[in-house]
Amino acid sequence: MASLPIPAAQPGGDPGSEVAPRIGARALCEGLVARGVTTIFGYPGGTVLPIYDVLREFPLRHILVRHEQGAAHAADGFSRVTGEVGVAMATSGPGAINLITGLATAMMDSVPMVAITGNVPRALLGRDAFQETDIVGIALPVTKYAALVTDPDEVPLAIAEAFEIASTGRPGPVLLDFPKDVLQIETSAPHPGPGDLRLPGLLRPVRGDVPEADELAEMIAAAERPLILAGHGVQIAGATELLREVAERSEIPVAHTLLGIGNMDETHRLSLGYAGMHGWMHVNKAIQHCDLLIGIGMRYDDRITGKTSTFAPRARIVHVDVDRSEIGKNVRADLGIVADAGDLLAALGRRLPQSPRRDAWWAELEAWREVSLQRSWHGSGAWRQGRLSADYVVEQIGEATGHTATLASDVGQNQMWAARYFGFRRPFAHVSSGGLGTMGYGVPAAMGAAVGRPEHETWAITGDGGFQMTMQELATLVAEQIPVKIAVLNNHKLGMIRQWQEIIYEGNFHSAELFGPDLVRLCEAYGMPGFRATTPEEVVDCIAAARAAPGPALIDFQLDDAQNVYPMMLPGKGLSDMVEGGS
Amino acid sequence: MTDADVRHVVSALVVDKPGTLNRVASLLRARSFNIESLTVGTTHEPGRSRMTIVIRGDDAHTHQVLAQLNRLIEVLEVVDLTDASRFELELALVECSVPADAAARRAIKDAMATAGGELLTAGPDGWRLRLAAAPAQIEIALAALRGHGLRNLVRAGSVAMAASTPSQIGEKP
Repeated sequence: MASLPIPAAQPGGDPGSEVAPRIGARALCEGLVARGVTTIFGYPGGTVLPIYDVLREFPLRHILVRHEQGAAHAADGFSRVTGEVGVAMATSGPGAINLITGLATAMMDSVPMVAITGNVPRALLGRDAFQETDIVGIALPVTKYAALVTDPDEVPLAIAEAFEIASTGRPGPVLLDFPKDVLQIETSAPHPGPGDLRLPGLLRPVRGDVPEADELAEMIAAAERPLILAGHGVQIAGATELLREVAERSEIPVAHTLLGIGNMDETHRLSLGYAGMHGWMHVNKAIQHCDLLIGIGMRYDDRITGKTSTFAPRARIVHVDVDRSEIGKNVRADLGIVADAGDLLAALGRRLPQSPRRDAWWAELEAWREVSLQRSWHGSGAWRQGRLSADYVVEQIGEATGHTATLASDVGQNQMWAARYFGFRRPFAHVSSGGLGTMGYGVPAAMGAAVGRPEHETWAITGDGGFQMTMQELATLVAEQIPVKIAVLNNHKLGMIRQWQEIIYEGNFHSAELFGPDLVRLCEAYGMPGFRATTPEEVVDCIAAARAAPGPALIDFQLDDAQNVYPMMLPGKGLSDMVEGGS
Repeated sequence: MTDADVRHVVSALVVDKPGTLNRVASLLRARSFNIESLTVGTTHEPGRSRMTIVIRGDDAHTHQVLAQLNRLIEVLEVVDLTDASRFELELALVECSVPADAAARRAIKDAMATAGGELLTAGPDGWRLRLAAAPAQIEIALAALRGHGLRNLVRAGSVAMAASTPSQIGEKP
């Protein structure tokens, strides 16, 4: 690896002085390195070739994906497990547009990311040049910030500001678009120091003690059936330990949103499970019967609340979020607190006395939990009757990996099964497109997660539908030898579509059956190990074989026909009337 | 729109850069607001522009959207002037047919008296006037002119300023 051409241009150097001229592409790469970037997921094209021309000079690993959507999801997965800003790169026009699904996914789930795109030279902007598109205009509603960098001298500052915006306050994706000639022209502009950023409009959370915790502590003291509903914000804030301490100190059970999974070890006595449309019945029941609901770092979105008029009817509702605009957006809050989840939990911890156990509340919860576990497919033990069921597969992957693997799920039934049955024990292990619900997310997100945290075994759990949307990334996994283990829960269906058509559309099935390739032979074609399980007896061996493979591997789990995810909250209904089903 | 909808006059200090107007308009569109008027112009500070946005919506919904507006990197300050003591002014250019009778002449005279009017030209092809007043006064003036040869109208949209220091939607430190 060649040494950096301009080592003096690091933050903390003399920001005012000019540096030796270098082209914009080099200034851009220096900026990435200065921000701690190690990995770029990208795909070359005409307008970003100036960057590829100098990339080798920098300590930046470039992972060549097979489609730009894969680059965006991989950067997203990388970011979710590391807490760092993931980086994706694409060329102008179609390349940039292919990033959009990934940007929207990251925006919905507050994932910090920087997307770098090339555009046509400045003189051609607006002339419908080859592969020109107004990517900033397209990206505006699905990014935290997007800008066209029109001056080579602005490159260092633009990069620094992009990372600052992406990672400050409520994180999100940022897109920077560079006309090709901006990357080719020399600039002497230095890299900015921390004080040189011009971001007066960036919301920076007020850090430190949270005075409103006084009122919340009083509400907790007065409550008989309190419940914490913890979301993604707790992990983003790095506050999972503080959450556990507050729960233990105040003896409050903790429910989780889909992206809040991993906030607490699921075997912890105060961890209740995950809530929502396909969440655990007893958790939803707890929400409906609690007298104080404390939402921390979450959005009270429709998949959690159902019909808001019937949501948590007995509770005073508290909403803690770092983003002021979330408070009161979906659900009325009796107490809204704008704060970092970690600051709030720390402030609360300082104020709360050690509470005695809430025996009466727990007796209710335990009774509901027992029924809830019995009623679900999981409890019915279909696999014991020789039927290969998804819950059994997911549970066995959990068992085999000691429940500590990173698990990226796709979207649909597989996502719900992964969330319900894996048994998560640690934060940053559950990677899922919760807000946007992006099919095709699982495999490329797992790829990014495996690169970001190679010390953790990484699995992708996907359906045969989502898998086929981005399966071209198998080539990336093989070429880069990224050891992702892929479990395809293969029911030859768009399972969640079929489930809705069965339950809501009176069995009027359309486009629910899905033809797909022979996945084992597909793996053979890509040069990676592929396994197939058709009975429960084969599950454990297949998992072991996939784990034993040094690089990527795939298991085609041929599921028992037409298994549904239960319980299910029907659209337009509330958490109190959920549908149960045996199979 | 519902009965609970209120006319909101919002003042926003924004960064004077390409894309700022796009971002603000895009956010309002995504939340299904129809913009009644939006004006933007430079301020006494270089690099800063001031927008006056007039939208209709119920208070809770509107304030939530204004909080989202405040979240934008390009937006430095958002103030809802709806319930504040404020100065609000709109400019309108009006074209009328040459008055046919005394009633028409009186209507034009009344309209100008109501809404800070000034006759710009009184040529044989028509009369052109300028109105500058609070939007409600402009409406009254226009009502008087309708039926008396009003045939073209260009309105600038409201500009507004608080009469005293108003409270912001959230603080940007």
